Amino acid sequence: MPTPAPADATPERPVANLEFKVMLLLVFTALLIGASAVYLLYARGAFEATQRLVLVADDSEGVVVGMNVTFAGFPVGRVRSTELAEDGNVHILVDVPKNDAHWLRESSVFTLVRGIVGGTNIRAYSGVLTDPPLPDGAVRQVLRGDATAEIPRVIASAKELLDNLNTLSSSSGPLGGTLANLQATTAKLNGPHGAMGVLLGNDADAAKIAQALDRANGLLAKLDGVAVKVDALAAKADGMAGKADTQVFGPEGLLPEVKATVGQVNALLADTRNSLKKMDAVLAEAQAVGANARAATNDLGTLRAEVEANLRKVESLVNEINRKWPFARDTEIKLP
Amino acid sequence: MARRVLDSPHLANAVTAIMAAMATPLVWLDALEGAGRTPGRWALAAWRVVHLGAMLLVLMLSPSSYQRNNRTALAQQIYLDTVPLLPGFTLLCAVISLVLTRILVTTAASYGLSQYALEMVIRVLVLELIPLTAALFVALRCTIPHGANLARMRRRGELDALRQQGIDPVGRELLPRVVAGVFSTITLAALTCVITMVLAYLAVFGFTWAGMGGYTHMFGQVFNPAVTLVFVLKTVFFSVVVALMPVASALNDPEGHATRLSAEMQGLVRVFAMLLVIELVSLVGNYY
Repeated sequence: MPTPAPADATPERPVANLEFKVMLLLVFTALLIGASAVYLLYARGAFEATQRLVLVADDSEGVVVGMNVTFAGFPVGRVRSTELAEDGNVHILVDVPKNDAHWLRESSVFTLVRGIVGGTNIRAYSGVLTDPPLPDGAVRQVLRGDATAEIPRVIASAKELLDNLNTLSSSSGPLGGTLANLQATTAKLNGPHGAMGVLLGNDADAAKIAQALDRANGLLAKLDGVAVKVDALAAKADGMAGKADTQVFGPEGLLPEVKATVGQVNALLADTRNSLKKMDAVLAEAQAVGANARAATNDLGTLRAEVEANLRKVESLVNEINRKWPFARDTEIKLP
Repeated sequence: MARRVLDSPHLANAVTAIMAAMATPLVWLDALEGAGRTPGRWALAAWRVVHLGAMLLVLMLSPSSYQRNNRTALAQQIYLDTVPLLPGFTLLCAVISLVLTRILVTTAASYGLSQYALEMVIRVLVLELIPLTAALFVALRCTIPHGANLARMRRRGELDALRQQGIDPVGRELLPRVVAGVFSTITLAALTCVITMVLAYLAVFGFTWAGMGGYTHMFGQVFNPAVTLVFVLKTVFFSVVVALMPVASALNDPEGHATRLSAEMQGLVRVFAMLLVIELVSLVGNYY
């Protein structure tokens, strides 16, 4: 309860410089309210130049006047009003301060996203910041993304995925079969035939391989024996080669006799060369005879030409005689 | 014509007549006691308050109310109703604001909603709590004691004595108290709102200018024209109710009429009721 005031109408003691103090108080209050109003106007964007952007959407649900348009999380515009256009679409009028307008380009994409918690967000994405800037009064389609609308689809997909997982992991499913096979394989790996049994599939083949290995081992042992014998043979061959040397190249060997034979063959060849030289001379003679015969043949040609000339002359003479003296010829000229 | 209506002596006479009417025993009202006493009394009281308020508002706006003698009384009342309250109330509000800001920011952060914390702080503190707190503070510290004081003066016939001395009791005693109450409420609300906003900024961002851009943007987003209008109207109505109701309640305290409550308590209850109504209407205006 407030304390009772004194009964006097003006009980308070007089205040020094009352008028001045009250004036100061009035000015203080006026300044406080005026500064708040100016700050509010500044915060509302009354002192900054803006440009208009029109976003076209099919549904304005969640869009309220005053909400932000953000770019990379920073507010770059404010929804000024929403209106229903003639074609039934919603026009969201956004004021973008000129200072922030350079973030919005011709190729910018605008999305309207409704979150599960919190309000609707209008976001701008500018992929190519070197594109020409968005002009004043630009009209852009806004893409709608609804987080809550996605939920049923996501749940359906998740259910499908879980069903698939169930099918995969059921005892009769492929995963179970694979695991069983893997277990059998592991058991085989740990079995007597190990990895060989896993690779070949059955024990019989594995046994065959083992047998083949054993036989290969035996074969290798025999090959060792053969190699030893080959060594002995090589030693014997060495001995025989020594003997052959003595018989071929020794003083009483085959080679000196061959040398003597070669000398005799050389002498024989020299005789043959002489005979051939004589044959060359005979051939030269025969060549000369041939040349004479060729000359004679030429002379025969000339003779033949002369004879032919004489014959022609004789023929022409006979013709002449025949003309001048026609014997058996009918020289009568018959007129038609 | 308008000039004649707004002439201060005429209005003062009218207000004096209302005061006299308020002081007379409610003879006709007694007849209603059997049927619907309480609603009738409430309606009559409300009408008188509205009538007195309208008269005082017109007096407040007429320059002739601020003659030299009245002006001194007005200045003294304004000073005494505002300055002594400022340090204590500012400190109280600063502490409450800091605590509430911290609680709101921490809670919002724990739910992963820290981007909404500052907006919530401004909405809860600046828009709703601080004007109400300022109005209640001024009511409890100044205007309700003033109302009780006036009622006592009226009962003792001091107001009549003043009138007989040629001093207008309306301009000398009534108007300064109402104007001082209005001014004090608005000043306290404005100052503590500004201080709360600064403290909220400091509590969230610390001593740096880095968050100023985002803070200003968020502030502009919260205070859209509708919210600003509701906020200003609410604060003005709070101040008027706080200043006027106790005075009207004091003048509406019929002598000889059996009341269970004293004039102070009646004024307090009426102030609370009206503040509640205004707060509800403002909430409806803001959030529906």
